[in-house]
Amino acid sequence: MQLLKKTITSYFLFSVIILLVAIPVFYFALKRMMVASVDENLIATKTRIMPQLLDAAAGNNESNLHLPGYDVQLKKEQPGKKGDSLYNNESNPQLSAPNRLLASHFYINQESYRVEIKTSLVDRYLLIQRIVLVSALLLVALLLGLLLINRMLTKKIWQPFYHTLKRLQEYRVDKQPVLKLEPSSVSEFNDLNKAIEQLAERNYQVYSSQKEFTENASHEMQSPLAVFQSKLELLMQTKPLNEDQAALITDLANASKRMVRLNKSLILLTKIDNDQFLEKETVSIKETLQKLIQQYEFQIQQQSIHLHFSDAQDHLPGKPASNIAASNIAASNIPASNIKDLTVEANKTLIEILLSNLLSNAIRHNIPNGSIDITLNGKELTIRNSGRPSSLDPNRLFQRFQKESPDANSIGLGLEIVKKITNLNHYSIQYRFENKMHTFSVRF
Amino acid sequence: MKILVIEDEEELSKSIVAYLKAESYVCEVASDFKTAMEKTESFDYDCILLDISLPDGNGLQVLKELKANNKTDGVIIISARDSMTDRITGLNLGADDYLSKPFHLPELSARIAAVIRRRRFDGSSVFTLNEFTFDTNAKIVKVSGKPVDLTRTEYDLLLYLVSNKNRVISKNAIAERISGEEAEIFDNFDFIYAHIKNLKKKLAAAGSEDYIKAVYGMGYKFEI
Repeated sequence: MQLLKKTITSYFLFSVIILLVAIPVFYFALKRMMVASVDENLIATKTRIMPQLLDAAAGNNESNLHLPGYDVQLKKEQPGKKGDSLYNNESNPQLSAPNRLLASHFYINQESYRVEIKTSLVDRYLLIQRIVLVSALLLVALLLGLLLINRMLTKKIWQPFYHTLKRLQEYRVDKQPVLKLEPSSVSEFNDLNKAIEQLAERNYQVYSSQKEFTENASHEMQSPLAVFQSKLELLMQTKPLNEDQAALITDLANASKRMVRLNKSLILLTKIDNDQFLEKETVSIKETLQKLIQQYEFQIQQQSIHLHFSDAQDHLPGKPASNIAASNIAASNIPASNIKDLTVEANKTLIEILLSNLLSNAIRHNIPNGSIDITLNGKELTIRNSGRPSSLDPNRLFQRFQKESPDANSIGLGLEIVKKITNLNHYSIQYRFENKMHTFSVRF
Repeated sequence: MKILVIEDEEELSKSIVAYLKAESYVCEVASDFKTAMEKTESFDYDCILLDISLPDGNGLQVLKELKANNKTDGVIIISARDSMTDRITGLNLGADDYLSKPFHLPELSARIAAVIRRRRFDGSSVFTLNEFTFDTNAKIVKVSGKPVDLTRTEYDLLLYLVSNKNRVISKNAIAERISGEEAEIFDNFDFIYAHIKNLKKKLAAAGSEDYIKAVYGMGYKFEI
């Protein structure tokens, strides 16, 4: 839930509860006060009209006494009762409007009389209802107004917070060295901004020193590697040399080759990170791919892989019309001339690395008699290859040193390099496992 | 043939010198910028191996001085920084070749041989070795005067072996030579075997002796 909604909701709930409780309480309190006031009036009236009552009693006149707003009745009754009593006249349920009644008993000349003074509460009830209604309306209006003001105020107060949040979401440690946030009138937000700015700065320092370290480490590694490799090559020339020694030297040479390759890949990664591939030119994806296929021809033949290169038009899965059995026909003879080309504006070396990594993976992780299916469709290049019968983990696939293959020659940096190159050029890359084919598609 | 190795990494320059000695080159070593300047000013070399990053200066400066003094020494830059810009700068300044560290010694040797050939045989690019005659411009090999029909790769391979004659060239070095750095991606050396087999077959058919020897699966050697 949004911050604003959260505060407003609590306010709103609280207001509704207050309204629901306050209005009945107000109503009943008002009613009580009104009844008390009516009672007082009745008693006062009785005292006021006592002479008339005595008069009427003396004249044995039990007729009604007329008084505006009051209904007075005097009756003779059996003696025994005394005093005053007040009650609501509810003897007649048909009477929609309640009356307030004062019954008083008194003696004149040893005769007992009862006087009833009655007044209607209808008007007063109406008045109360109106008062309550008006008050309730006022209260609702007030609360709504408060809510509205609160909402506006909160929005305004939190504005710097949302601004900071947006800047933080956009922040990339590899792109901006410093994060500059706007000052706010709220001191807490200022503190927050300052803390974030410092955090970003420290982050950048750590990032750049780590980057520098990788860069320096891999460069410094070049020299000892060069020494190691050259000494191995001298060792190969020594005589006498027996077969065991030769095997050991070969193993060492292979290990050294792997180190060299690993190091080169790390250097390449830091170079991409440092944006050192600035020169851009128009690169033909089709031509680059054809060149690579030619280069890998031997490896493709070795595993008897069927390679099929096409554009969207003549691509019909399962139709081996232009399938090339690479074992029979040289890959360079692939009739790719009619394939619709895709050209991109990018660094040529990087595009070559990108495509070569994808293609060599498709060859290396393939199975004997497997297939590779390259489709160039508009702005999308799809490379499908047979291989392991289960999907790779798409979440870990593009991460550094996430090797899923037992192949010792795979150094686990190829796909990270691919990812870096696609990110750099704002291409997107996706991995899918469909129809038992490992599918990588790049959108240029 | 005189060669100057300008390289601050002592162990590496020692390896280079040891390897090149077999080719009967006379090697001198300069391990810093100052010595390098002194030596290049006072003597002429057939080929100079030049490391760019020296402790007390930039190797490219040595190259600039050489060119400013109209010296014709061949120069091969060996650099730890494999960057396109460095390569282009170096070659634009008049270097003959560029090799990034770490490199294979046979590769270095072959490149030195190529540079020296280009410098020496002004015009004539032909050299002979026993029954072989190489024309490096036309990229043709003749055995006892008769041309052998070799593919481009086979020719390169033969020249590579000959440039490192009597020394073992590892399979890694051959693979890199034949198919560039891309070959590193695959650790499959069967294609080397296939190329060597074809080459040997063709040379035998042309009537040459069998000089190419496999050394315990470690590599190959042109033994003469």
